[in-house]
Amino acid sequence: MDRVPVLKLGDILIVSIQIDLQDQSVLALQEDLANKVVETGARGVIIDITAVEIVDSFIGRMLATIAAISRMLDAETVVVGMRPAVAITLVELGLSLGGVRTALNLEKGVALLNHIDGSEIATATR
Amino acid sequence: MTGRTTGEELIRIRVRDDSDIFVMRKLGREAAEAVGLAPQDQIRVATALSEISREVLGEGREAYAAFLLDGEALVVTIDLPAAAGFRSADGVTLAGRLLDEIEFDPAGGRVKMLKRLPAGRPDLSVAEIRARLARLTPATAVDELRQQNRELAETLQEVLQLNAELQETNQGVVALYNQLSEELEETNRGVVALYAELDEKSRQLRAASDAKNRFWATVSHELRTPLNSIIGLVRLLVGPGGEPLAEEQRHQVQLIGSSAETLLTMVSELLDMAKAESGRLEPQSSRVDLVALTERLRMTLHPTSGNDRIALSVDIPGEASEMLVDEVMLTRILRNLLSNALKFTQEGEVRLGVRADAPTQEMVFTVTDTGVGIPEEHLERVFEEFFQVPGPIQVRVKGTGLGLPYARRLAEAMGGTLQLDSALGEGTRVTVRLPHRQDGEPVVGRVLVVDDNEEFRATVRRMLAGFAAHVDEAPDGEVALEMMAHERPDLALVDLFMPRLDGAALIERMASDERLRDVPVIVVTLATSHQYPQGVSRVLSKQGLRKENLLETVREALGRDDA
Repeated sequence: MDRVPVLKLGDILIVSIQIDLQDQSVLALQEDLANKVVETGARGVIIDITAVEIVDSFIGRMLATIAAISRMLDAETVVVGMRPAVAITLVELGLSLGGVRTALNLEKGVALLNHIDGSEIATATR
Repeated sequence: MTGRTTGEELIRIRVRDDSDIFVMRKLGREAAEAVGLAPQDQIRVATALSEISREVLGEGREAYAAFLLDGEALVVTIDLPAAAGFRSADGVTLAGRLLDEIEFDPAGGRVKMLKRLPAGRPDLSVAEIRARLARLTPATAVDELRQQNRELAETLQEVLQLNAELQETNQGVVALYNQLSEELEETNRGVVALYAELDEKSRQLRAASDAKNRFWATVSHELRTPLNSIIGLVRLLVGPGGEPLAEEQRHQVQLIGSSAETLLTMVSELLDMAKAESGRLEPQSSRVDLVALTERLRMTLHPTSGNDRIALSVDIPGEASEMLVDEVMLTRILRNLLSNALKFTQEGEVRLGVRADAPTQEMVFTVTDTGVGIPEEHLERVFEEFFQVPGPIQVRVKGTGLGLPYARRLAEAMGGTLQLDSALGEGTRVTVRLPHRQDGEPVVGRVLVVDDNEEFRATVRRMLAGFAAHVDEAPDGEVALEMMAHERPDLALVDLFMPRLDGAALIERMASDERLRDVPVIVVTLATSHQYPQGVSRVLSKQGLRKENLLETVREALGRDDA
């Protein structure tokens, strides 16, 4: 099972999913991320799904769950880089990823977090 | 759209765990691309397959998925065991939104999905698509492994079954074996019981035989006294000092006397036989002049024949004129044989021949007659006590039927043999062989026989009779050493297998003793043993041991060691 790396940049944790996710990997990511948020005291989480081609109802639900957990731990989640085909499919499936903020790309995601939080790390990535 | 699906199969995989969902997704994407669906539709197909297989697998089921190219559509069917009881929740609905057609048949356990292909798709042949999918999905390899695994499991099952069958057969064999050994044991018990019975019977026989001998001895002894009185009184009556009797009276008294004497002879024979039977005959050897002995016999026997038509001749060559023997026994044997021969010969000759047989160191006495002979069927029975060959002569002549058996016993007591050759009407020849030393002196002084078998010691003693002056016996090595310490033997016959100190050890002990070192040793053992102690050159086999080769070996041993 491939584990997805979780990177820390200032107050933000960045998760970049570069592979087609297996269910086990998603569950592991959920746990890893929650631990990491608590460990680092991160205020924001960015999940980059640029490379993900298929998001079915399970993975969609998992993204929503991760966002909910992070919010519990005082961190805002932004999913970035969703492909058009994935978006279309999700909508056709009737899933809207409620409770999950999205941004077009990583840059906009960071900006969104800074906007919500007034965070100082924004300059670091700009 | 119901029932079987037509179309060309692109690939078929088994779906049984989470990782297969991933594989299904990937395959769906690839298949969709290969058959020419647009990228968005590829994602749709893949997502739909992901949804549906997740639901199918939801409760640990197992299914087979087939990708087919059916005219202008990509068809995916998922077959589950009907018994799995699959009830779709959202999966089929969700997948239906992404595909053109979806069909779910809970009873048949089949989900069938269809995505129509756009016009003007790339012209990839079915074979090419198959190759592409097969290359891109390692799932097939895993599947193969699973297949092999399953086959292995099946084989294992078969092996287990075979094993069970074998075990059953084995049990059968064991049962059979047990039964057989039980039967054998039973038979064995029967045999043992039979043996015990036989033992008991032979004990009884021995007891009866003993009783018979005691009876004979007592009765004949008791009878002799009154008989002697009768004979004495008869002599007094007819003697010169007595009162004169009338002629008739005198004749009758003489008849009484001769009958009493005959009776006394018979009683004496009985007593002798009883003695011989109980094995109490000990030959007392002395130097005997055979010429004189046979002459006396001739003189005493000739008149009793009372018949001039029978010649009694004795033939003794010079070298056989003397021998060391028990004179009384020899006389009895010869008298019995000669009187028998005279009794049963009406005309012709009775001849006694004596000769020395140098190779066997025996003196051979032959009594030949030209009498009635003995029918072949009675040749053995004449050695039974009280047996007489039926015939006219036997009715006429007196006899107890003890003569021959008694003669044979005496011959055996002296270490010899008695043989009978006869044919009806052609006379009889009796051959007696008695041990005889040519020089008249024992060849060896003292021989020690060491063997745990008492019977064998007795046999050897008999063979050495007359050949050795003294024969000592020891049942084992320890006793032998004690005896040798007391009296040094001139020769030792040693058995190898004995209790306490065995033959090999005994020979070693003798070799280390200065006094006994030069005593020649002959090993007499079973032919099966091939390991002889060092320094033993003379070995005799117990099996088929004959007097000749024993004496020969003894002579060799003495000769070599003397030289």
